[in-house]
Amino acid sequence: MTSSNAVMIEARGVEKWYPNGFHALRGVDLSVHQGEVVVIMGPSGSGKSTFLRTFNALEDFQQGSIVVDGIALNDDLRQIDAVRREVGMVFQQFNLFPHLSVLENLTLAPVLVRKLSKQAVQRRALELLDRVGIAEQAHKYPGQLSGGQQQRVAIARSLCMEPRIMLFDEPTSALDPEMVQEVLEVMQGLAQDGMTMVVVSHEVRFARKVAHRVVLMDAGVVVEVAPPEQFFSNPQHERSRQFLSQIS
Amino acid sequence: MIVRPSRLEQLRQELFSSRLNGLISIALIAFLVTAALGLAKWALFQAQWAVIRANSTLFALGRYPLEQQWRLWLLTALLALATGLSWGLLRAILRSGPPVTLWPRNDRWALAVLVLLSLWLPMALRLSLAIQMRWWGITLLLLVVRWALGRWGSAIPATARRLIPLIWPLLYLLGMVLISGGLGLVQVAPSEWGGLLLTLLMSSFAILLCFPLGILLALGRRSALPLLRWGSVLYIEFIRGAPLITLLFLGQNILGFLLPGGMAPDRVWRAAWVLTFFAAAYVAEAVRSGLAALPAGQLEAARSLGLPMPQALIHVVLPQALRVALPATVGQFISLLQDTTLLSLIGLLDLLGTARTVMANPAFLGQSAEVYLVLAVLFWCCCAALGLGSRALEERLNPHSRSSANLSPSQA
Repeated sequence: MTSSNAVMIEARGVEKWYPNGFHALRGVDLSVHQGEVVVIMGPSGSGKSTFLRTFNALEDFQQGSIVVDGIALNDDLRQIDAVRREVGMVFQQFNLFPHLSVLENLTLAPVLVRKLSKQAVQRRALELLDRVGIAEQAHKYPGQLSGGQQQRVAIARSLCMEPRIMLFDEPTSALDPEMVQEVLEVMQGLAQDGMTMVVVSHEVRFARKVAHRVVLMDAGVVVEVAPPEQFFSNPQHERSRQFLSQIS
Repeated sequence: MIVRPSRLEQLRQELFSSRLNGLISIALIAFLVTAALGLAKWALFQAQWAVIRANSTLFALGRYPLEQQWRLWLLTALLALATGLSWGLLRAILRSGPPVTLWPRNDRWALAVLVLLSLWLPMALRLSLAIQMRWWGITLLLLVVRWALGRWGSAIPATARRLIPLIWPLLYLLGMVLISGGLGLVQVAPSEWGGLLLTLLMSSFAILLCFPLGILLALGRRSALPLLRWGSVLYIEFIRGAPLITLLFLGQNILGFLLPGGMAPDRVWRAAWVLTFFAAAYVAEAVRSGLAALPAGQLEAARSLGLPMPQALIHVVLPQALRVALPATVGQFISLLQDTTLLSLIGLLDLLGTARTVMANPAFLGQSAEVYLVLAVLFWCCCAALGLGSRALEERLNPHSRSSANLSPSQA
């Protein structure tokens, strides 16, 4: 990964206050290049999920600027919808649609938003389900799957929109330990295929193996940005050392 | 080895597990038996059912002109046809996997009740043989269509099958024309509709319209646009703060002043609109509870997939929220059905209004218990039908039961 690749996400001086007055983001900067995998770590309440969610406008912000895939995020709803079409998001709680079958979960958005033919989308959906290893579950409902399977469906659902960027908000935190690996493997495969990814996660092994850069956030600011080998073996900041000693 | 206890043994354990429990059981059983015997004795030997027999048409239709009643017979036959079609098709589709009995258990019960009612009721009312035969014919039509569709319904191509539910809205519109006239039929003014006909017409009209209105109000109440939100809140709280009867009187009097002469709808329609607007406020609150029960992540997931708000609502939020809100909403529909009795207080001849005119007739003095009992049974039947329908719908909307019913043959 080189910085000569195009910039996919450019966040500059992002400030966010929640309506109750809490200052969640205090001037955060981050650039993510095409094909890069960035893992954001930090203690709970550090603003890492909030920051991630500003990239597809699930959270608004009051100051600073965010440009995603060349589109500036502002109050223009059409801009926001345009960004969301290009950015996939995977949630901690999966958020599959329980009233739709697995296959319908995947095909809903491409058919409605991209106006593609149902047959073409279904073909691609089945390919994606095969890729995440659950093609045989296509006609089941989300409630009938294990947590790991649900999260893999959620990843496939995002991929079905053919996004240029994937955001992961603690994708393995709600999983039973034995199911974490199957989800991480899918994410690793995605990274190898060159997907631009921003991942909020505490999976150190995943970060070591897959990430190009690790970001540590605390109290609404970026404390340290470093390649994983440096971040985990020789962190530069006292706060990073403290955090790493707590999670290991 | 543990042997499953017999039915009798189970009953003994449930009712007489301890001395106190046994005493309570005996006292309750004695009370229930006495009450049932008393009611049976009264109904069979003391009650004067002549008041019902003599006025059965009045209870059913009010003062609907005799020479136009063929239109209602036609409508009843069409309703039977549509019911048979839908019922049979539902069975044919649900049982499309392995060959299952054509008449499952619940359907056999419904069949028995239908046949007994169509044989006994017209006889008990001492209707003329010609009219009795009409009822038999209508029942036969329903059952034959139900049988035929249940037998061969799965052979109908899926595209044609999808059109069949559309017969209900069409039938509703056609029913309106048949009842009120127009399109070449003689007009029958709403003031001539009455009895069960008026009650069902008013409540179905209000139920059908208050539902979409309630959904819009509930969405408005959660809208980010302040004007929409405050408008919805104001409307809902105003309506819920006023008794229906005052709104009905207001509707009768004020609409006449507000709208220029001739523009105000007929008295019956004014009442129907008031009922609709009244129920919509309550339905809105039921739907709001369904919306509140939905995790925020559902809307976030839909929006982050790029679905614009309207599509996210239609395809993700509402299907789930309405399923949660369904029991409370149907409860609202049932109250609405019963609230139509208030129409009698503003001088309309719904079921209760008709009953009051009948009881005011000196010929039937002292027979009000019989009349009220029949009214109670009629209302109970309508409400039970709504409740049963809602439970069946809930069952069908449940993703898990649906997944087993919808398994394509390759999976089954």
